[in-house]
Amino acid sequence: MIHTIRVAAKADTDPVGRDVLAEIRRTLGLAAIGRVRSARVFRLEGADEAAARRLAEALLCEPVDHDWTIDAPILTDAAHVVEVAYLPGVMNPEAASILKAAADLGVDLVAVDASREYAFYATAADALHPTDIDRVVHRLLVNPTIERVVDTPPATLLIEGQPGPTRRIALRGMDDDALLRLSNDGLYLDLDEMHAIRDYFDELRRDPTDLELEILAQTWSEHCVHKTFKRPVVIDGVRKTPFMQRLKETSRRYDDLVVSAFVDNSGVLRFYDGWAVCGKVETHNSPSAIEPYGGAMTGSGGVFRDVLGTGQGARVIASTDMFCFAPPDLPPSDVPPGALPPDYLLRRVVAGVRDYGNRMGIPTNNGSVHFHKDFRAKPTVIVGAYGLLPEDRAVKGHPRPGDRIVVLGGRTGRDGIHGATFSSTAMTADTITVNSQAVQIGNAVEEKRLLDALLVCRDDGLLRALTDCGAGGFSSAIGEMGEQLGAEVELDRAPLKYTGLAPWEIYLSESQERMVAAVAPEDVPRVLAICATYNVEAVDVGAFLPTGRLVVRYAGEVVGELAMGFMHDGLPDKTLTGTWAATDVDGDAAAPSTPSELPTPPTSNDDWIDLARRVMAHPNVASKEPIVRQYDHTVQAMGVLPPFGGREGDAPGDAAVLAPFPDKPYGLVIAHGLNPVLNTFDPYWGGIWAAAEAMANLVAVGGNPREVGLIDNFIWPVPDGPALGGLDRAVDACVDVMHALGRPFISGKDSLSSTYRYPDGTVLEIPPVLCISVFGRIPDVAKTSSSDFKHAGSTLVLVGARDVEASRGYGLGGSVYLDVHGLRGVDAPHVDLAVLPRVLDAVHAAIAGGRVLSCHDVSEGGLLACLAEMGFGGDRGAEIDLAAIDVASGVGSGTAADRRMRPDVALFNETAGVFVCEIVDPDDVAAFTGVPHAVIGRTIDAGELRLRDGVRELARIDIAMLQDAWASAMRLVFH
Amino acid sequence: MSRTASPRICILKADGTNCEVETATAFDLVGARPEIVPMNRLRSGERRLADYDVLVAPGGFSYGDDVAAGKVMAVELMQRLADDMAEFAAAAKPIIGICNGFQVLVRTGLLPFNQPGIMSATLAQNAVGRFECRWVDLVVEAATVSQLAAALPSHLQLPLAHAEGRFFADDAVLARIEAAHQVVLRYADRDGRPTAAYPANPNGALGAIAGLSDPSGRIFGLMPHPERFVRRFHHPDWRRRPADERPHGLAFFERIVALA
Repeated sequence: MIHTIRVAAKADTDPVGRDVLAEIRRTLGLAAIGRVRSARVFRLEGADEAAARRLAEALLCEPVDHDWTIDAPILTDAAHVVEVAYLPGVMNPEAASILKAAADLGVDLVAVDASREYAFYATAADALHPTDIDRVVHRLLVNPTIERVVDTPPATLLIEGQPGPTRRIALRGMDDDALLRLSNDGLYLDLDEMHAIRDYFDELRRDPTDLELEILAQTWSEHCVHKTFKRPVVIDGVRKTPFMQRLKETSRRYDDLVVSAFVDNSGVLRFYDGWAVCGKVETHNSPSAIEPYGGAMTGSGGVFRDVLGTGQGARVIASTDMFCFAPPDLPPSDVPPGALPPDYLLRRVVAGVRDYGNRMGIPTNNGSVHFHKDFRAKPTVIVGAYGLLPEDRAVKGHPRPGDRIVVLGGRTGRDGIHGATFSSTAMTADTITVNSQAVQIGNAVEEKRLLDALLVCRDDGLLRALTDCGAGGFSSAIGEMGEQLGAEVELDRAPLKYTGLAPWEIYLSESQERMVAAVAPEDVPRVLAICATYNVEAVDVGAFLPTGRLVVRYAGEVVGELAMGFMHDGLPDKTLTGTWAATDVDGDAAAPSTPSELPTPPTSNDDWIDLARRVMAHPNVASKEPIVRQYDHTVQAMGVLPPFGGREGDAPGDAAVLAPFPDKPYGLVIAHGLNPVLNTFDPYWGGIWAAAEAMANLVAVGGNPREVGLIDNFIWPVPDGPALGGLDRAVDACVDVMHALGRPFISGKDSLSSTYRYPDGTVLEIPPVLCISVFGRIPDVAKTSSSDFKHAGSTLVLVGARDVEASRGYGLGGSVYLDVHGLRGVDAPHVDLAVLPRVLDAVHAAIAGGRVLSCHDVSEGGLLACLAEMGFGGDRGAEIDLAAIDVASGVGSGTAADRRMRPDVALFNETAGVFVCEIVDPDDVAAFTGVPHAVIGRTIDAGELRLRDGVRELARIDIAMLQDAWASAMRLVFH
Repeated sequence: MSRTASPRICILKADGTNCEVETATAFDLVGARPEIVPMNRLRSGERRLADYDVLVAPGGFSYGDDVAAGKVMAVELMQRLADDMAEFAAAAKPIIGICNGFQVLVRTGLLPFNQPGIMSATLAQNAVGRFECRWVDLVVEAATVSQLAAALPSHLQLPLAHAEGRFFADDAVLARIEAAHQVVLRYADRDGRPTAAYPANPNGALGAIAGLSDPSGRIFGLMPHPERFVRRFHHPDWRRRPADERPHGLAFFERIVALA
């Protein structure tokens, strides 16, 4: 018996209903709906009516601002009421809390579910059509991968089923066609790999079980083994070292400060006083395209577990997020069939990142959003996390023979399993069909208590080894930990969300919020006791044994047995071939190659103002404050440079600075750079730009360029053909960056399949994305800088080399300036790697020496955006002579006359690694002796940008007006 | 009451509590003896509330804020630890709720009127309908009944970060709160005037109420996070502020310790 409690906010306190109405107006333009109200619906199974009433009064309803009913509708005056619930099998995180509170109130429920009702009221003038309600429900309220409209109330909330048997696959007799058919049915291995598996079982004289095939497919998957990065490549006929080998070998040359690189779940650097810091950056693109909220949550949850699972456990102290979407104003007709509108995707991804990070209490300190129309089918969603751990616990131990395998955290369900289906005969008669590929809703609190418990275990020295369950689930975690030894697993001991999972499903499930630890047998009781204190489920499921084999049992029966050697070394060798020709990947915009094909610079003050406003309102430049304010960036009380600062807290910072120890001045600086548009010209120069931008962001706030580690994220459309050639160039860029900076990459990730196939077969590729993150240490956070102008009358210096080479279109390719004119340019700006490190050192020394009042790096939107943003934070303006730039800091070829910089080039060139510094004393310009620099003007006590070109006044632009243009673009997306 | 030893602070930790470490740090900085105490240790009797001098419910998302922010933890406190809580309050020991802890205290009925089990006000969803993280200006109510406010600067700045912080009650309850001078902190504009206008009042709180106490002044809840401003560098604009300025959150913790 189910009793249903409905709870509605009293009419004037229902922000949910108000938000839905706003979305209806904005996204659907529907005028017929005049009001929306919402109600919570709680279904309580196993309680009698008196108990259900007690729960309503003591737990579910608050009479101060709520009304409630039992087993009766609540919003009875509405024209239409629609209830939206999670699909059966999608675990509702709220259910466990309600069960706990009910138990505290003395009511033992069998099951519970919580959902929401929406009530629609017609405007006075119009009638409500069912088709209008359908549009609202299906466009805005229901995501069919996880949710449904409740038409018929469920008779039971319990999901039950019988586990399917373990099957044997008659692999040995299969010909190539049969092998490929089998592979395409969910294994996704190529023919060579299928042959290797068939040969292995031929030798064993038996056929594999479904579990064994799934384990091999998982272990050998691109996602887990990163085949593309590990294999030799041939580009344009030339054989080259595998990408990963190139990165690792170069990295090793610059390993001072490195505690571990490319071996653990994250990269680890030495910090101070026996502490280490670690960083990891992950992508979560495909799930986010289908279910942006849940996808972003699992992305955040996964990268936090990566950091938690570093060494013997790290405390997660910071996170970052970098997104690429199609422009929010993409016309609906351009949204590909089956894809979601970009503004909706953006809002939902932000909500997912917000709800996971905020609930875990992990500050989101740094991030960016980039827009390009070719992300309209598949966005790029990148999330980073950084952690703090004692250096003596920063390196993983190896499991020893006899160590127990302990799984901790959330229960295992059918989450993330491909193509799994419930056997309908095995289900109870009342159970509604369970979604076979349930996307899960992240449960941040589950992960938070897991983190709390594991850090106690770490401090007590109870964890020999630790890793997270991400892609590949137990299979990946246990397979990796047991690689050198062997493991025996009793699969029926794993706690399940619901019955009915076949052994292979349990072993391969990608349910979130789970970790696996190797624990000495005598320590297991203590680990279990600590976990119990924190309400974390922990179960001993087997042992690491020196057999060289993986043995998996279910209910006493062996369901899988594989040699560790074959699992980890049996993957056949293969060489990848690609081509590189610097072709125009995205050739639908005109490409100016001579000055005459550049836009005409404005001639009147009004035209300058109009141009400046368009640049500031461009989505790649515009303020992301409406996003950032939704993220808790002050929790943990370590931040000493907020994402938005200045006098009114509305001016953007370049990077995050944390002071992790309350009694020490030590600082951790975190920054990143990416610009996908530039990779459409050449991923080499796009990659160099990204690295220079990351370093410039870090240095602009006071980071030390000599004490950092870098992290790469390659998100590529496909790993073959010209794209593979481009990837090869991007890897070369990373290698060259390491040599130039003398600093290593210490962690990375590749995700090499971001394409979309239209119904007519046309393939849409994303622009290649190389996101470069950087983090490092500084001894004293007092010696840092912020971007807001501090005083009037200070000297402004432009520091750094800009690419203004005429044959490359003056380095304007891919710039916001060209984009607002519908142009693209001919090439990415080339950052001079010979000059960059000296510039970084000089700016760092000037800031650390206390000579810099404010500093901001020049990036999207160029010098104009840089100066405007410095003005926003300081409520001041600047007087700038563009002629000064021409003389000192153009690094083009040719004669002085050729290098005469047009004012638009001076203002809008986006070469990375260039700074504006506000200095106290004009003599302090000497700090930049030996690197390209120019004194370009001074700050003024008026809210204006006054631009001159020598004696000629170009424009006077009101800064408040620019700020309005800059701030309003994202407000339109986020109300 | 005065004591020679520094007071023992019980910082409650439920699943999803996430500000316990920096709250303990703040108490450390002012010489108290904080201990982070998981709820299960109190439920099992392994720890006893009576052994502490101050009880703090810190910020976070206790039990995911499921059903309503702080609700599940409030039920747990009033069902599983009701006697200990009553004894603690009867001993006139300070009970402090910060952010989620404030939500918990309101949902137990300890605030605003120290009536366990009777909820007469709420912290509703922010009027803007979403989570907000920003620094706010606050003014201390001159006539406040709470001794805890005595040492605070009259106009201070603290960060807040919440989705459900809108203080809401009916007119009778609001009038009773005001009459008893239970309001301690109000959201204010830059000039120190209480305001209903967003974003200075970031959640639409009635009466611009950011923090209040029970009629005794010993039970105190607030939405802003004093533990996030205990170092000079925590202020987002610290470069423009005097280097010797006392961080505004520290005074708050010092005063609690002085009263304990």
